[in-house]
Amino acid sequence: MNLAALLAAAIFLVSLALIFTEKLHRTIVGVAGAALMVLLGRLLGFYSESDAIAAIDFNTLGLLLGMMILVALLEPTGFFQYLAVWAGRMSKGKPVRLLILLGTVTTLVSMFLDNVTTVVLIAPVTILISEILGINPAPLLMAEAILSDTGGVATLVGDPPNMLIGSAAGLSFLDFIIYAMPIVLAAWFIALFLLRFLFRRELAVRPKKISAVMKLEPAQALNDRKTAIRVLVVLGAAILFFFVEHLLEVSPAFIALSAAALALVWVRPDVKKTLERIEWSVLVFFAALFVMVGGLQASGALTSVIRLIESVDQLPPVLFGVLMIWLVAALSAVVDNVPITIAIIPVILGLGADGIPTAPLWWALAFGAGFGGNGTIIGSTANIVVATLSEKTHAPITSKLWNKRGLPVMLATCAAASLLYILAYPLYLR
Amino acid sequence: MVIRDCMKSKVFSIPATASILDAATVFVERHVGILPVVDENGKPVGVIRMGDLLTLELPDFVHLVQDLDFVHDFGAVETTRPNRRLLLQPVTTLMKPIQAIEETSGLLRAYARMLQDNLYDLPVVDASGKLVGIVSRVDIGAAVLSLWSAKEKK
Repeated sequence: MNLAALLAAAIFLVSLALIFTEKLHRTIVGVAGAALMVLLGRLLGFYSESDAIAAIDFNTLGLLLGMMILVALLEPTGFFQYLAVWAGRMSKGKPVRLLILLGTVTTLVSMFLDNVTTVVLIAPVTILISEILGINPAPLLMAEAILSDTGGVATLVGDPPNMLIGSAAGLSFLDFIIYAMPIVLAAWFIALFLLRFLFRRELAVRPKKISAVMKLEPAQALNDRKTAIRVLVVLGAAILFFFVEHLLEVSPAFIALSAAALALVWVRPDVKKTLERIEWSVLVFFAALFVMVGGLQASGALTSVIRLIESVDQLPPVLFGVLMIWLVAALSAVVDNVPITIAIIPVILGLGADGIPTAPLWWALAFGAGFGGNGTIIGSTANIVVATLSEKTHAPITSKLWNKRGLPVMLATCAAASLLYILAYPLYLR
Repeated sequence: MVIRDCMKSKVFSIPATASILDAATVFVERHVGILPVVDENGKPVGVIRMGDLLTLELPDFVHLVQDLDFVHDFGAVETTRPNRRLLLQPVTTLMKPIQAIEETSGLLRAYARMLQDNLYDLPVVDASGKLVGIVSRVDIGAAVLSLWSAKEKK
């Protein structure tokens, strides 16, 4: 490795370490790292400003922004709360049924909408319902975070790593439905049954006040029915278009941004308030990471990694995929899965350029990045959200509890994904 | 008119060694909303408000949900009592730093402070910082409104 590659790798690894320690906000780390990378590139002449701009994947950013605008419009309508309250009533106060219903609702919504927003809005209602019933909310909250993170892996728009992978590998919405969803469904059910089993004692508690839950009025949680229906209609149309994107030869970003535009025109909200709900820090973080990893690639650091992988040719490709699932999952459990994914993408692209069949590796990356986050309390943003909210209840979710109940779920889903990956491998090669 | 003229100069307080349960008993008996916590020399070290105790009964989740229209029955929340071990902890674990007003302060200045800090009672201190009374929003409000009718009588 030359000096440029070593220094570029150092910038990236130090940034990752800083994101891991959470001493600094990840967006600050990202922007600083990107600036340093461009500076280094200019000084050593391997990375120009126009290279840095070209490294940004605007397809992913556009898709994220479009979906964020739709969520921003739906958020204040009370639609998410409505779903949670509805689930509460349908459960008739039975804890196990509540776990299944809330887990399913959160998963279904977060397969198409940002799962952090979904969890942020559904978890408080979950706590409320648990307090009303007099049961421990921790199993429900953990199930919502884990199941929505798991389910999100099934679709192109379900989680950010998928958007990145889809854009880089040219995988369509339909590809994800065909190749990822069956495995994700299996993993999801395993996660659900395992959570049910691990929390059997908490879930066996007989609720004190079932009648109170039956008096909840879902309709009253839906503050703005008209707007909710409009946004959902637009969202439904966008999902239909996602299915045929390859036939229409349009990008997912184009569909998402068009849907956002249509929804904005139809709803005509207070734009300032709507745009305040957009998570700009996430978009800036992504852009900064693209610039940083672009520099890493230009410096030749990733080429060294590619050569290293190619030199270990004794390993059968299918096992390399399984190894990728576990390696990415382990990394995603302790550090943000977005920088991991953005850094691995050029490695896979490089392997592909050297004639190695990479189609299966994309799915290995998606499964690892998606399921790995379930393992620790800091593994995903949704996990952090439910843990923080649970501090306001009688039974806070601790890191120890997560290791006891969440880690087994991560291990089981990764094991299931590995097994099914091996079985589906011939299919992935086609 | 200044705060000294409308405050209650009889102040109920609680020693720093008291438990949360002791504080609750004083709140019930005296029907007040705030108790200064004093050390062995009678010097105030903080205040405890009725609301601080009630958060033990009604956890913070209420603030997490934007509007509660759809909840018609609080169910188990209504009947769940905080556990005994928690209630026997010293009152100092829940107490807040003292925010006091000088006895020479004008009425509306004191009232504005209450609005700004979302308080309903303020301890009153003299120039040396000694606790001399307590004033509530109702005390100040009644004093201010009494000036209206006083004017008309003239």
